[in-house]
Amino acid sequence: MAETTEKYQQAGPKVQPGQKEEMVYTWPYLVSIEAIMAIMMIAALTFMSTFINAPLLDLANPDKTPNPAKAPWYFLGLQELLLHMDPALAGVVVPTAALILLGMIPYFDRDRRGTGIWFSTKKGVPITVFSAIYTAVIEIALVVFDEFFRLPWMTEGSHGISPFITEGLMGMGMAREYVSWIGQIFIPLVLMVAIPWILVVLVKRRYKANMREIMIALYSFYFTSFIVLSAIGTFFRGESMHLMWPWEVKPPH
Amino acid sequence: MGLWAKFKNTTLYKSIYRNEYPDTPRNQVLVILNSVVLHLHPVKLPRRAVRVSYTWGLGGLSLLMFLILTITGVWLMFYYVPAVPDAYFSMKLLETNVIFGAFARNMHRWAAHAMVIAVWLHMTRVFYTGSYKPPREFNWVIGVVLFLITVLLSFTGYLLPWDQLAYWAIQVGSNMAKVSPVVGTYVQMALLGGYDIGPATLIRWYTAHVILLPLAAIVLMAMHFWRIRKDGGISTPIPYDEDGETDPLNEPAK
Repeated sequence: MAETTEKYQQAGPKVQPGQKEEMVYTWPYLVSIEAIMAIMMIAALTFMSTFINAPLLDLANPDKTPNPAKAPWYFLGLQELLLHMDPALAGVVVPTAALILLGMIPYFDRDRRGTGIWFSTKKGVPITVFSAIYTAVIEIALVVFDEFFRLPWMTEGSHGISPFITEGLMGMGMAREYVSWIGQIFIPLVLMVAIPWILVVLVKRRYKANMREIMIALYSFYFTSFIVLSAIGTFFRGESMHLMWPWEVKPPH
Repeated sequence: MGLWAKFKNTTLYKSIYRNEYPDTPRNQVLVILNSVVLHLHPVKLPRRAVRVSYTWGLGGLSLLMFLILTITGVWLMFYYVPAVPDAYFSMKLLETNVIFGAFARNMHRWAAHAMVIAVWLHMTRVFYTGSYKPPREFNWVIGVVLFLITVLLSFTGYLLPWDQLAYWAIQVGSNMAKVSPVVGTYVQMALLGGYDIGPATLIRWYTAHVILLPLAAIVLMAMHFWRIRKDGGISTPIPYDEDGETDPLNEPAK
């Protein structure tokens, strides 16, 4: 797939054929580091547990929905997607696909060169930075656009790409059941495939990326998406899941 | 002869520790080989792999979080009642009536968040250092499954206090699962034990949280650690000829 046009460039220390790794004893070189890290982590957790209490709100009440109701933080990226597309797509298809694709990485990238070196090649860091900025800018732009985009003829309170398409096509005389999937499933799916796809094309063109570097671009896309969407869901979604500044977000009531 | 030296000469001490303090190469080897815990390690390893800036100790910290969660979790089980609404009141009582009760619960909660973060960062470290590459492909797959189990462990634990936060977070989370195409209703029934979150859900998630998922995690962790050794130990750069273009151990990417 990717053409390796240049020699595989290593960023870190090189190992020439026949050169032996410098070896050290596990005791004490590794065991001491493990012990120090464990003690530091236990100390930090003890400190935190002494001063910060785990939340315990009122008894669960199925009749009293808090506003907003949020999932645990590591699912807030998915909950953010839920605001923009069909729930089955956001809540089931995307996470399943993400896990399967993650598992498949080593079956695409079969070249052993680059193992054991941070970012593997000289282009690894620039590609990571480029992919992260590309992903963050596009996703933030899409979230903001979907929140504030509305035209005068759209129904009161509706905003974003999906209602725009659904209501537009319904205005042209098409039935809702035929058109709602276009905004809810088709467009989000196209975007979610196109954004990483274009990233791969760009990285191939701009950096002449090999397979490892394409994987770096795609993982950076996944990593940045997780952070950007989770951060938006955690800090920028307040009452009724509207977009707002973190200082305007009040605890659920 | 000092007291400690005398103690080290007893049959009891010698039956526990089979070698002297590891300050000679011979004993540095023996201490690893003779201890069940240390034996997870090789006797020697590459200097470059010991650097903190290479691994950040994230895999080890994930395991440490799991151990802390097991200990505090078992402790919490002595007080927790998996029933509606007793679960909530047992947590209230834990905070007020049990010595170090709130502390143990805090520790469990914060270690759980820390474990999700540590596992995720560990995966990221392994990715960016190219450590998933052959022959480590399948250990990467096991790692991805362990990441999923970690998130599920955290998510099942989230419901157990049975407060407003727990109930509604799980409501949002499980609403996502029940709209699965084709299998949605089955998923919902399997997860919730009914059409809505209730007593059946709590006992299901409790059982998954305290026994099913931890057992799965332990089995997969054993495979994960075993395979690190079997797949050649910690990842190090592959020797190859700069001029030869090709990786001597594998075909080049096409």
